[in-house]
Amino acid sequence: MNTETTNTDCKIVTFILGHQTFGIDMTALIEIREWENPTPLPNVPGFIKGVTNLRGNVIPVVGLAERLGWEPSAIHARSCILVVNILGKQAGFLVDEVNDIVAINRSEIQPAPEVETIESSVIDGLVRITTRAKDGTRDENGTMVLLLDLDALSLTKHLDLAA
Amino acid sequence: MSDELDEIQAIFFEECTEGLVTAEQGLSAMQGGDVSAETIAGVFRAVHSIKGGAGAFGHADLTAFAHKFENVLDEVRGGKIAPTPGVVKVMLASFDLLSDHVEAAKGLAGRPNDAAALAALEKVLVERGAGDGAPAAAPVAAPAAAPAPAPAAAEDDFGFTPVLVSLDDFEAPSSASSDGAWVIRFKPSQAALANAGEPLLIIRELETLGATIEAVDVTTVPPLRDLDPENAYFTWTLSMPADVPENDIRDCFDFVAPDSVIEIERARTESAADPFDFAPISAPAAEADEMGFVPVSALIENFDANIDQVVQAIANAGAALAAAPPPAPATEAAATPKAVEAAQTIRVDLAKLDLLLNLVGELVIRNSILADRLSPADRQRVELPELARLTRQIQDNVMSLRAQPIKQAFSRVPRMLRDLSVETGKTINLETSGETTEVDKGVIEKIGDPLTHMIRNAADHGLESAQERIAAGKEPAGTIWLSAEQKGARIFVRVRDNGRGINRERVRAKAIEKGIISADAQLTNEEIDQLICAPGFSTAETISNISGRGVGMDVVRSNVEALGGRIEITSVPGEGTTFTMVLPLTLAILDGMIVRLASQRFVLPLTHVLETVQPEPGQVKRTSPDTEVIDMRGEYVPVKRAVDIFGLNDDRAIEESLVVIVESEGHGKVGLVVDTIDDRREVVIKSLDQNLHPIRGLGGATILGDGSIALILDIEALVAASATRFTPKGLAA
Repeated sequence: MNTETTNTDCKIVTFILGHQTFGIDMTALIEIREWENPTPLPNVPGFIKGVTNLRGNVIPVVGLAERLGWEPSAIHARSCILVVNILGKQAGFLVDEVNDIVAINRSEIQPAPEVETIESSVIDGLVRITTRAKDGTRDENGTMVLLLDLDALSLTKHLDLAA
Repeated sequence: MSDELDEIQAIFFEECTEGLVTAEQGLSAMQGGDVSAETIAGVFRAVHSIKGGAGAFGHADLTAFAHKFENVLDEVRGGKIAPTPGVVKVMLASFDLLSDHVEAAKGLAGRPNDAAALAALEKVLVERGAGDGAPAAAPVAAPAAAPAPAPAAAEDDFGFTPVLVSLDDFEAPSSASSDGAWVIRFKPSQAALANAGEPLLIIRELETLGATIEAVDVTTVPPLRDLDPENAYFTWTLSMPADVPENDIRDCFDFVAPDSVIEIERARTESAADPFDFAPISAPAAEADEMGFVPVSALIENFDANIDQVVQAIANAGAALAAAPPPAPATEAAATPKAVEAAQTIRVDLAKLDLLLNLVGELVIRNSILADRLSPADRQRVELPELARLTRQIQDNVMSLRAQPIKQAFSRVPRMLRDLSVETGKTINLETSGETTEVDKGVIEKIGDPLTHMIRNAADHGLESAQERIAAGKEPAGTIWLSAEQKGARIFVRVRDNGRGINRERVRAKAIEKGIISADAQLTNEEIDQLICAPGFSTAETISNISGRGVGMDVVRSNVEALGGRIEITSVPGEGTTFTMVLPLTLAILDGMIVRLASQRFVLPLTHVLETVQPEPGQVKRTSPDTEVIDMRGEYVPVKRAVDIFGLNDDRAIEESLVVIVESEGHGKVGLVVDTIDDRREVVIKSLDQNLHPIRGLGGATILGDGSIALILDIEALVAASATRFTPKGLAA
């Protein structure tokens, strides 16, 4: 959307929630871990699945699908936790599957239409990426990726209101 | 640069704080009758370095006040003013103002009104002269620089009062004129700039004293290609009016790099021919008589040491003049270098220590995870116990880094008691012990207020007036014992008085009157004693301004409990009361009971746990569809289940569960139904708000030996929330 910063390439991590492909800025990613049941917390909104131990740090685990207003993710073998840094705080996102790391050009990002989810503002924009199909050939049609604005998820702010 | 300066200034303020503590301890000791040279010199040095630093950072008000204070201290140090209680009182008041000035310099407070204190100090200075029977002495002080600190001190240390007398004799010539203006040669260390010893600041400071730059030697500046812009090359020659005391000039050089060259000497004039003119003023002048002007030009490796040299030189000169035998080594001269050696410390940001402590906590946890994963046979191998032992040692050491002697918290008590003595008209003795007990810095910072309340309480309520004491057959003076000791992972801080003890009848009557207990409540003596910690309780018949506003003891209790500690009260009528604060050694580690609530593990802070019971059938009774009580030996204690607290599902029968009786401040006892008790261990507290935000009902989280997380229950919040029930969200699963 911002035309001033159009030319910088950036890398995104793509992952799947339900049937949608989402992407977050690679620089926010700390690590990807296998799903393991977090310790549930009392008195927090439902999308906070609990807390887990990340190398001695106690970090919240967020059901990202629920946070975005989709059906809650079911836990399966490929479920994993994307650990991200949001404004200095760490959080883990439960996602259905992590796909790939892709370089995109900021100029290719299109604005998301309004009223996409409960709060449309959490979607930074839409971008089309070409993905490798299972057989290694290129999927020429490409896939639409919903880019998440992590800061706008306002995880802690939201929680503060709920508390 | 300005950042660097800020940093240095921050260090200066830290040093100010330390200096103030030292000064207060010294002044308190002086008021307690310890007027030894070391004590006085300690106070002097503390105020002196505050002044020096304040000057360098341009805190004019602070400098001016410290200067005046220092003058008085110096006279006391020199034995010219006797440290009578009156004088010490003035100094204590001045100390308070000095603290206020430091606060003002920090920008935390406005400039204090120091006019009265300055006047009081001035009065002490002036009266000193009258007291000596030598009125001329006072005028000498300012213009002639004659009683400049070093000589004065030296005279005292070496017992050369005759020098002072001779000073009066030579008053006229020494204060006379521009004769003997100072010539100062200053060559900063090459590394001065790198060591933040900016010569410009020193030159400016000298200029404020009236110095003018006579010459700058630039011959030492190397050719451009060899020039290191970080080095200092110039040598300055300055002249200073004769009436500036030498020590004021020396003070400007307090913080220069050690290998700087500083020469301060009297310019030679006709009147210098009079051999006695300079004799009492400085060492070089004294030497000049005999050796023909030898300037003091010592490398300043250690300014104190240098002063000692000067002191020694003066002593020698004095000896020559008075034809007395050489003096014995001065005690101060011997003590100063030792003190410097002992203070081999570095300053470390507290946050770094916290991080270190956290990391070590992790190490401990990983250790036990490792042990859990190994087969029992492997566990017994020497490496693992060794690793565990080393880890434990590291942990102890890191904890000890944060540990400080509790003396810091105790040091303000003597002074407080003196004030209380005056206010209450009671004579109070204080006996302290265990001041060297080391406690986590965080704990020390937080026990100050509770301690103050407890001392005030003991002085105001505990101790009787002298008449009452005599009537009861006791000594008229009451005594308060303040002690600290470590037992295991706990620190016991006791405040004991030999006063009247708690009047249980009155406490009980008051509690009933205030509606804290019901009129027919059956209470044990201990329970009645505990009532004085209940919110809104105050038995003082008249509300004094010392204690008795009814906020004291419950604040003490909540403060102490916030630290994970508890208060114990024992009282014997007619013999006295003892308040004991039982505190954890550290705030980062908590002694916890690990329990399961609806299969999930939680940590209960052990300080809140009173007892655990396995309920008999019928012992737990329902009082409403939602509320239950447990019959504890006739006392009905409300019972909370996991579902009440967190909405966790738990269909376990009460008889299969355990009830942990916990006690909270203000809400009494509550029984917590738990599945089992897993363990009792020390846990490292991890805050939830680091990555999330604080959650009501939880005091944080900890990582257990298997790497999983257990939540720490906040008993206070849980019990308080029992009235307004939690609305469980998100834990339906």
